[in-house]
Amino acid sequence: MNMISVAIILFLIMDPVGNVSILLQALKPVPPKKHVWVILREMCFVLIAMLFFYFLGDVLLRVLDISETTVRITSGVILFIAAIKILFPKMGNVRDVLRKEEEPFIVPIAIPLVAGPSLLATIMLFAHLDSLNQIIFPAMIIAWFFATLVLLASKYFYRWMGENGLVACEKVMAMILVLLAIQRFLEGIKLFVSNV
Amino acid sequence: MLELAFTIFLLANPIGNCPAIVALLKGIPLERQKKIMFRESIISFLIAIIFLFFGEYLLLLIDVQNYALSLCSGVLLFFVAFGMIFPHDVTQGVVSERTQEPFVVPIATPLITGPSSMTIIMIFAKQYPILKVFLAICIAWVGVIPILMSAPYLQKILGKRGLLALEQLMGMLLAMLAVETASSGIKAYIESNWG
Repeated sequence: MNMISVAIILFLIMDPVGNVSILLQALKPVPPKKHVWVILREMCFVLIAMLFFYFLGDVLLRVLDISETTVRITSGVILFIAAIKILFPKMGNVRDVLRKEEEPFIVPIAIPLVAGPSLLATIMLFAHLDSLNQIIFPAMIIAWFFATLVLLASKYFYRWMGENGLVACEKVMAMILVLLAIQRFLEGIKLFVSNV
Repeated sequence: MLELAFTIFLLANPIGNCPAIVALLKGIPLERQKKIMFRESIISFLIAIIFLFFGEYLLLLIDVQNYALSLCSGVLLFFVAFGMIFPHDVTQGVVSERTQEPFVVPIATPLITGPSSMTIIMIFAKQYPILKVFLAICIAWVGVIPILMSAPYLQKILGKRGLLALEQLMGMLLAMLAVETASSGIKAYIESNWG
């Protein structure tokens, strides 16, 4: 895994393109002038959550004595489930449930839409990998930065691509996520077998 | 090459997509429906070609091996096939109720050139010469376009039950293809690590 690969994984799990339309819906009760500020604030919460789980993950997994094999296989499975959820949406997912007529504050945009359980779990797992020590932090910042850019430009994305175009884009991204998930999973299996 | 073309044809799944397409085009005049279908087929063809050339760079960028790609497409295919055999789950996400004319999405991209056919085209682009795959895509689309353009008529000829039966048959074929693809991926994985 190189840095770009990790950054792409994190970016794809945040699924900013898929979150554009729900973000715009959540921003409706907010006056247009405040939009940029609200998005930046929410993304700061996302960054805080990411950093928290980054440090927590390292400590927690060290205490639990989790091996690298486990980390790779688990992250593969989590990524796979996250991607399948995007590819084959079912009724009653988070996006439909969390629609309120008030200004969004942390919930639902920051958590769980952008920094969902799968993102945080993945960060915890990656933080524990020794081989990723140097690259996970910059990768997190890169992924976060680009996700923020996409969400700040959400109004323009929506206008250019429309609801349908966004969905199509999201599905292509989810497909890439499936690819990455299977790659991680296979690496884990390989490690497992060679340790045996 | 015909085998490649047939695989791509099955993934584009023009016959199985007919019920969804018929549902999407409901309420638009027949002549207009044919025009829309022609346009959508051309767009889906272009998407396939873009993936043929662009896919490899993407794989290099994210550091993914060949066998992961095969396994990925096998798994995704199986999901699609499963949905075709047990239809109530799949089409629900794709066919939403819209009165306006569909453009690019959902017919051209998720339905005809879906994630699974994109993946398989990228795999073929890695395994075979580009020109061969390009021709295979062209051949496949020669079959896809007339079927899609006749989709509005199919409804009258077959009736809903006939289309449903055909879709299930395509689903069975696709499920077998999925297992085949996935197992070839697993084989390549084992060979490259412990061969």
